Amino acid sequence: MKYFEDVEVGDIMRFGRYEVTKEEIIEYARQFDPQPFHLDEEAGRQSMFGGLIASGWHTGAMFIRMVVEHMTPVHATTGAMGFDDLKWVKPVRPGDVLTVESEVKEKVGGRRPDRGTVKIESRIQNQRGEVVMSLVSLVIYLRR
Amino acid sequence: MKYWEDFKVGESTDLGSHSMTEAEILAFARKYDPQPFHADPEAARRSIFGGLIASGWHTCAVMMRLSVEANRREEAAATGSPGLDSCRWLKPVRPGDTLTGRTEVLETWPSKSKPIGFVRRRVEMVNQQGEAVVAIVGITMYRRRPTGGATA
Repeated sequence: MKYFEDVEVGDIMRFGRYEVTKEEIIEYARQFDPQPFHLDEEAGRQSMFGGLIASGWHTGAMFIRMVVEHMTPVHATTGAMGFDDLKWVKPVRPGDVLTVESEVKEKVGGRRPDRGTVKIESRIQNQRGEVVMSLVSLVIYLRR
Repeated sequence: MKYWEDFKVGESTDLGSHSMTEAEILAFARKYDPQPFHADPEAARRSIFGGLIASGWHTCAVMMRLSVEANRREEAAATGSPGLDSCRWLKPVRPGDTLTGRTEVLETWPSKSKPIGFVRRRVEMVNQQGEAVVAIVGITMYRRRPTGGATA
């Protein structure tokens, strides 16, 4: 288990594999982001995106799924305060396969003696190695 | 139709409300954020949160839903978002909480290359006690008002 003390600025972690399907893009969009270019292939083709694309918040949800599967079991974290500087860089389309590269940018002490906040920049990439989304999460770690 | 030109700095809009059910919190968490305090009511009781809480990504998804519905009511020509400056999950969201959204325009500027403009806005959701549970500052793109044509 990695605690606050064990995490070092510059650490890089690569993890996850998430296959994006048309069905899941539409299901998420129906529930949370019912804009035409997230819901319907034809409407997507006619939009500036040229095809069906995932909601940006859906990409965020897929990102957190990969984090919870691969990072949470081995890092003593207890959630996050939020994030800064989230960029939706490129559209995420059906058939894309997403992976994550995370880099520790800064360790912030915080007020509580039993915890610390770590700023982690994550880049979500597609199967061509293109970054589709990036953000800097404020992750709460337990101390040893 | 509400175009980019129609957004004024300082204007604020109510986004409406949504009540969070336990079933909804569990369904989202089991699919996307299966940490025990989001996905397992019993484990959540024993956690530092003392009970089930919604994934922050779920709270943001609900905020997005309310924003899309508000855009529809206003017939706003929204065309996506390049990203957010910040997002803070300020308080846990629990089953039965009713969240109400409100947004304020902070800044507007036109695209130099496309017939769209950008709006930087703050969006906040409060619970039934009036406590802010999430606050974001994000950017939304809107189409520009078409120029020329005699029929506006």
